[in-house]
Amino acid sequence: MKRRALAILLLGVMCLGLLTGCGGKKTEEPAAGTSDDGVITINYPTFQCGVNTAAPVVAQLVKEFNEEYAGKYQIKLEEIPGDANYVDKIKVQLGTGDLPPVVYGAGYNLLDLALAKDLVVDLTDIVNADPEWKALYSDAALTTNSRDGKIYASSVEGSVVGYFYNKDLFAQAGIEAPAKTWDEFFQQCETLKAAGITPLALDTADSAWVTQLWWGAMVATASENGLAFMQTMNPDDYNFDEMVAAVEKVQKMLQDYTTLDAIGGKYEHAANNFLSGQAAMIANGPWMIGDFSDTSKTTADFADKVGSAIYPDNFVYDAPIQGYFVTKQDDPKLEEAAIAMVKFFTSAHAQQLGLEMQGMVPASSSVEISADAAATYPLLVEFLSQASEATVRSDNMQATMYSNLLDVVSQELPRLASGELDAAAFCQALTDAAAKN
Amino acid sequence: MSHMQMTTKERVLCVLKYLFLALCVFVALFPIIWVIMSSFKTNAEILSNGVALPKTPSLTGYRNALTISPILNYFGHSIIITTVSTVLNVLFLAMAAYVFARCRFRGRDVLYFILSLAMVIPMTALLHPVYSVIQALGLYDTKTGLILVYTALNLPMSLLILRGTFLSIPRALEEAAYVDGAGFVRTFFQIMLPCAKGGLTSAAVLAFLQSWNEFTFALVLTSGQDARTLPLSLSYFTAQFSFDYPAMFAAVTIAVIPSIIVFAVFQEQVVSSLTAGSVKE
Repeated sequence: MKRRALAILLLGVMCLGLLTGCGGKKTEEPAAGTSDDGVITINYPTFQCGVNTAAPVVAQLVKEFNEEYAGKYQIKLEEIPGDANYVDKIKVQLGTGDLPPVVYGAGYNLLDLALAKDLVVDLTDIVNADPEWKALYSDAALTTNSRDGKIYASSVEGSVVGYFYNKDLFAQAGIEAPAKTWDEFFQQCETLKAAGITPLALDTADSAWVTQLWWGAMVATASENGLAFMQTMNPDDYNFDEMVAAVEKVQKMLQDYTTLDAIGGKYEHAANNFLSGQAAMIANGPWMIGDFSDTSKTTADFADKVGSAIYPDNFVYDAPIQGYFVTKQDDPKLEEAAIAMVKFFTSAHAQQLGLEMQGMVPASSSVEISADAAATYPLLVEFLSQASEATVRSDNMQATMYSNLLDVVSQELPRLASGELDAAAFCQALTDAAAKN
Repeated sequence: MSHMQMTTKERVLCVLKYLFLALCVFVALFPIIWVIMSSFKTNAEILSNGVALPKTPSLTGYRNALTISPILNYFGHSIIITTVSTVLNVLFLAMAAYVFARCRFRGRDVLYFILSLAMVIPMTALLHPVYSVIQALGLYDTKTGLILVYTALNLPMSLLILRGTFLSIPRALEEAAYVDGAGFVRTFFQIMLPCAKGGLTSAAVLAFLQSWNEFTFALVLTSGQDARTLPLSLSYFTAQFSFDYPAMFAAVTIAVIPSIIVFAVFQEQVVSSLTAGSVKE
């Protein structure tokens, strides 16, 4: 009898566990809220840790925030190493409605996912009431961080992306300066190839970041139609002449102007090919500048050999990266604390700090490049000066395409390179995948 | 003459056999050797020529591994969490498996089928409910939470192995114990468990390895540095635009050594008990 009673009791406990798991009741945010001494703790998960170049900046901002708001607010940093791991965890928390008070949208468009669940705090009135904060929003930043006329996020980092070239290899091939037009660019590729130098460092895996930068630049500069496409969020039609023509050129780049390991290779392989002097050009953002003087990745004098350029036809990628947003919390005081954190983390001081410590491009054009930053990152100053001359600008293709297309690009680019697919079929594959959204 | 020909053929076969075995050993060991070798190279050496020997072997990778990520801290957590969850898993599942193997009761086969079915549920499907349960129990970001989850995650495999093991033990042993006056509990702990040593070791090793290597739940169910396990530390070395491969491979080397030792020490028991229980009394 006792055994049966025990069995029933254990069964009851098991069922209770099941019901707890399947229940829809929102549970308390772990390790966030008000402590006994009245200090509000903000649990802040971040992927900017470990080898991430922004890790020291975030650590410094947390330290400064905790000092400035001592006794009132405190940030508790949760390190989530690896960008993909961060996105995965935020998605699980989205599913359960347990988002942390502050989320960094970064390049993963987490804002729209959170908005779809109505979990984001509208910052419009708060930003408009604060002239200092409002002044940091450029038109592009407003577009990136707003939906339906309402401001939901605040950017700290700009994304100004051109390309880098190896001055020594250019000189060996007799090339004096980066190309001004695409015809000249492909002529330079031929010249480099004839001199026995691989012109381009490219990749195809992990959504082919480096390759798609060249590809998007060609689309954006092809015509008004191409530029309009690049400025469209989640475009669904890749079957148009400018796109097909650009993909044909990408195919040529992969077949004739890059290293063997580009097919199936990741960003690391492309970076290594440039850093080791095996390829003459790589498209990438200023965050790579630090690598040029990292002796574990390249030679000590490599930084002196690198020049920067904007793309042919006066194009540069220029769009702020989606910023920090505040999520709805049961405790209004926690929301207030989260807003204070977002304001602090995206302030002019924070942007300046990122510039000086990491070589990060500020989201706001009103943040000036200090003498310290100019001395530490002369190539960044040179590049930003070139970028200011660009007449055609847009966001990068990876940031605007439907997220399911990122894998399609990685899968189909090797087939494009091998000739198994032609440009039209590649574009059709993207259009088909976009139609699934 | 014929005898000589046979001997030559045998020798050829023997050589071929050893060549084949050497190839198998090479295939099995190459990834481990490659990782260990890469931990002494630089980023450029790894990416330029992955299979070449390090030009100037360096311990920088190991130094960076210990600086960039709290690997030793996570190592300690992994040992505690994996050991406790393995012991609990084997203890509880041995009890359950013994009942499934020996007792007859209504719904036994259905219950066994349901428990075994857990083996085919994808881990990602469990993420949300497990996250909610652990939150509701107040076990988020605790070692206890992970221990509970790992104990349960290894349930189907341990049950399968241990039930097979108990089925292979002759009933006469229990009957002799009962005749000598032992009760149900004593018979189980003093007679049956020692007889099922092989199966217990096998289940324990598999549970240990799965818990030691598990990543997703360790990521989702923890937030601070007090409960995180070793696999998470490996993510500290690669980001979208930055990487430190020597440090990562050094960390991988540190991470896999315990698994290799555990398997090397208990491999005979694992292999033998995996085949045990296939013949029912």
